[in-house]
Amino acid sequence: MQISLSWLKDFVDISKNLDPKILAEELTLKTAEVEQVINEGDDFANMVTGKVVELKKHPDADKLKIATVDIGEKKPVQIVCGGANLENDMYVAITKPGSYVRWHGQGDLVEVKKIKIRGIESTGMIAASSEIGLNNPDEGPEDILNLAPEKPAPGTPMAEFLEKSDIIFEFDNKALTHRPDLWGHYGIAREVAAITNKKLKPYKPKVAIPQKGEEIKAEILDHEYCPRFCALIINNVKVEESPVWLKRRLKNTGHGTHNNIVDVTNYVMTELGHPMHAFDKSLIDGGFIIRPAKKGEILTTLDGKKRELTSEMVVVADHKNAIGLGGIMGGQSSEIKAETTSVILEAANWHPSRLRRTAAKLNIRTDAVQRFEKALDPNLAETAILKAAELILQLCPNAQIGGPMTDIKDPKRPEIFKPYPRTIELDTQKAASKIGIDISPEEMIEILEKLGFKAQGSDEYDIAVHDFQRFLKVQVPSHRATKDITIEDDLIEEIARIYGYENIPADLPSLPIRLPMDNTERFKKHRLRELLSYGLGFDEVMNYSFYSKSDFEKCLIDEEGHLKIENYLSEDQTHLRTTMSPNLLKNAQLNAHNFDNFKLYEIGHTYKEIGQYFPLEEKRVTGIIVKKGKTDSVFYEAKGVLEAIFDKFNLKHIKFTKGVKNKTYAHPIKAISAIDQNAQTIGLCFTLHPLVAKNYDLENYSIAIFSVNLTEAFKIETDFRKFTPIPKFPNIIIDISVLIDGTTEIETIQKTILDADKELIAGTMLFDIYEGEKIEKGKKAVAFSITLQAQDRTLTDEEMTTAQNKIFKNLESLGGTIRGR
Amino acid sequence: MENQLKNLQTAALKALEGIKDEKSLKDLEVQYLGRKGKLTEILRGLKNLPDEKKPMMGQLSNKTKATLEEALAQKLTALAKGKLEKELSGEFFDTTIPGTAREIGHIHPLCQVQEEVERIFYQMGFAIADGPEVESEYYNFEGLNISKDHPARDMQDTFFIANKEHKDSSHRAGGHGRMVLRTHTSPVQVRMLEKYGAPTRVIIPGRVFRNEATDASHEHTFNQVEGLLIDKDISMGHLKGVMAEFLTRLFGKPVKVRFRPGYFPFVEPGLELDFSCLLCEGTGKKEDCPCRVCKKTGWVEFMGAGMTHEKVLEAGGVDPKKYQGWAFGFGLTRLTMMRHGITDIRLLASGDLRFSRQF
Repeated sequence: MQISLSWLKDFVDISKNLDPKILAEELTLKTAEVEQVINEGDDFANMVTGKVVELKKHPDADKLKIATVDIGEKKPVQIVCGGANLENDMYVAITKPGSYVRWHGQGDLVEVKKIKIRGIESTGMIAASSEIGLNNPDEGPEDILNLAPEKPAPGTPMAEFLEKSDIIFEFDNKALTHRPDLWGHYGIAREVAAITNKKLKPYKPKVAIPQKGEEIKAEILDHEYCPRFCALIINNVKVEESPVWLKRRLKNTGHGTHNNIVDVTNYVMTELGHPMHAFDKSLIDGGFIIRPAKKGEILTTLDGKKRELTSEMVVVADHKNAIGLGGIMGGQSSEIKAETTSVILEAANWHPSRLRRTAAKLNIRTDAVQRFEKALDPNLAETAILKAAELILQLCPNAQIGGPMTDIKDPKRPEIFKPYPRTIELDTQKAASKIGIDISPEEMIEILEKLGFKAQGSDEYDIAVHDFQRFLKVQVPSHRATKDITIEDDLIEEIARIYGYENIPADLPSLPIRLPMDNTERFKKHRLRELLSYGLGFDEVMNYSFYSKSDFEKCLIDEEGHLKIENYLSEDQTHLRTTMSPNLLKNAQLNAHNFDNFKLYEIGHTYKEIGQYFPLEEKRVTGIIVKKGKTDSVFYEAKGVLEAIFDKFNLKHIKFTKGVKNKTYAHPIKAISAIDQNAQTIGLCFTLHPLVAKNYDLENYSIAIFSVNLTEAFKIETDFRKFTPIPKFPNIIIDISVLIDGTTEIETIQKTILDADKELIAGTMLFDIYEGEKIEKGKKAVAFSITLQAQDRTLTDEEMTTAQNKIFKNLESLGGTIRGR
Repeated sequence: MENQLKNLQTAALKALEGIKDEKSLKDLEVQYLGRKGKLTEILRGLKNLPDEKKPMMGQLSNKTKATLEEALAQKLTALAKGKLEKELSGEFFDTTIPGTAREIGHIHPLCQVQEEVERIFYQMGFAIADGPEVESEYYNFEGLNISKDHPARDMQDTFFIANKEHKDSSHRAGGHGRMVLRTHTSPVQVRMLEKYGAPTRVIIPGRVFRNEATDASHEHTFNQVEGLLIDKDISMGHLKGVMAEFLTRLFGKPVKVRFRPGYFPFVEPGLELDFSCLLCEGTGKKEDCPCRVCKKTGWVEFMGAGMTHEKVLEAGGVDPKKYQGWAFGFGLTRLTMMRHGITDIRLLASGDLRFSRQF
């Protein structure tokens, strides 16, 4: 919203010495953000008026003249100029070096410099009106701007001469959403007065409304939608162009101009913040009815568009047709035209959210909608009519007010029309405690009264604090009472902001030491990141929570169990992920263009529909290992990650079982699940199903995925590791290699070894598996390092041999042949 | 004889100083200590001495011998060390070859900053909490005093889940309204108050969603950090203090904060909080203060905040007459981008290793 400084001065004294930028900063800190301060005069910087005192012909150019111009400085300046109308003693506009002009009114702005034109020095330029952004229709194409009619003193700054001295404050509209009172100059002036400690001038239109005469009838069928409706007839108006001052104010604040009547309604809106409308009286049949629209009713609005209405909408109608969307946009049928001689001014109050819904449905966003949706003060409707009437009588000397003002108020809600509709009790001690600085009740009263509130100490004497003033009775004026100020804290905000947020000292609360609730899950997630990234060499990625049908279909997943986004942004983000893998596979596909081998993981949420209101939302870590070429090592690497996680987080009683449940994108046998004591799956790992790999163009890569349900895993009980004494006696390590059937599982072989001597065998470690040409087909050679250890003695050679023989025997009974024996 | 021994020792030690290699050392040893060496020669004269002088001279000659032997041995060690060092230095060794590459992965920049934020607040006694990303209209809006007509509840701003609806979102009888992707971390405020009541000190970092088209500076998915401090006598001054402390620690240099009026339905008074530009330290006057950081105002817009609205306290079952406090919410994504100079927000969720391996 654009606010003019000179317009503000109609209502509050603003010192000439107050830098507008500083005022803007104050408004930003105390009221609402001023995004920009625009100085109208900036366009005319380094431009002054001048008078030609001598004129000579240019020796080397027929069309050029050498002018000596008095620009109010000690010495006149010499300027080479080609203006056809240039003559001696002429009053002209001079653009000095450093100013910016548009050559012949076209192209970009160019800086004027001191130059030589055909050998003659020229200091600046004598401007044509189009070159400095003005438009003088009397000027010929070769002419320069002639200031003869005004004869300004040479050296007058052009901005001053043109009265282009206004400053425009551009407010951030979003910062005004909760302040219905700030949508016009008078409201901003009230804030300026409070901030700068000046008096706000009362807003009292000077106009006499006759007691008798012509009065338009109005009937309101939906008082909730229209709490107040005011209208006034003015006859004998002459529709014409508005005077310069009025047009200038509207233009400066970003409004177009139409004719004097429409301009007056816009002027009042911009000044008072209350939108209004003018109808051509001759086109209104009977009187006004504010009624629900009929379903399918058609109204052509002022913008020429045909609008189909619904029964939830409310229209302003005459006795025949709908003639406007109250508070949103007028109808075309009754608009003010050049031949209009009698007008009806209308200003009404409308229900903010119902009006907003109607406007949104019809996709209309006008200045009026923007204001009414904030909940305007219903008392402004009457003031707006009076101000508009005053202006129209001023612009059209022959105009006459037809008769009394039509003013219909919702009879059920008399309180909202009072000047102070609400009273709130303010506990000044609580206010000071919330703000964080001692502000006396007297200061609070002063601040509130500057903003138009009435505040006084309560009559009750508070024994506890020996103070009459602790509790204030604060009366809220109607311009703040519609929505903005309803509770005590709203008053505290008023006091704090005007007192000055900058005056609140920064202070650390002295709270008792209380250990924060421990969110171990959070901390463990960060530790997990360190383990995966810094320990195991994985890179963390973050993907969207969304994917598409085609994404999960690539993973052979069906739609069941998915939550769908009703208003999704794009076709590839339609569903919430039930699993992390599809997005990680997309990452794999992307990164395979740049890297042959890589390992990624993501920690995030998955969302599953489980037939209750809230979905099952779980935190997971899922990782993917990608290697170019064909190898099963990726599976074991993934399994190793699971083992590392379970080990480092000391998760007890987790076992691996074969296969994974319900994972369509897992290889049918290269897959395992990690289950806890209650047979609940905590984690899993698998090689990617070849069909799925193909769907992602990754068939030439080996890919394994691991995943852990962190929500469940971090619930598993952990305890501190127990210390085991370091053996006092040396151990013996024996290496054994056994040739065995290729389908015998390592776990079985290890168990067979351990069973050989449960007392002495302290551990077995697999260190080689060989399958290939050097050995019998269908067999594999497996090598273990076996540790023998007794707690109470050094083992003898004999004991070692006995244990070794038992191991050999066990392995042989499993069908193995001991190699190298 | 005594003098002879003394002179011999002096001469031998002096000669030893000039020795440069093992061979000359060996020769010197033979020359003085050998069977036909100079010491033996002197000792021959021992027999000519009177008997009472013999023991004393014997002792002296042994001492001379030991001194020389010790000096020779030391010289030998020194020569050997010198030789080895010369050999070692003679080899070519390239120290400029890069260190052995370790397979160390990368933590996403957002998570790195998040951990730092969590650590600072945890040290100030704030708990770290979580909440669901798929949220009900009740918690996301009503519970936070955001009325049904509020523009934020339009389809343009919020993602809704299809076919998920409780008719009543008033929370009476468990009504939750429609289901949304939370548009801010604020719903966790009410959840925390419901669960733990007052007093409470908590921050809630998390992922939020807005239904808006993406470009280099807008994302439909980003991360926020919510803060909530409810106790007795908690003031806006405390908010200033805590945030200045937090930012000072985060940036590692003194940071000031300022308030401007702001509006959020779940706080009253409502505030916008700016912090002093790190480059020009709040003056806005330094010439090299780039406009894109603080627009020469000296301040960087940081977050929305305010005193927790009484309706929010009530929704959380906390008596606003007994307890008061504040809440804030800032963009972790923006903070991360600022810290690392990331110019395109979309890179954060790109999954591109060429991006994430930079941090």
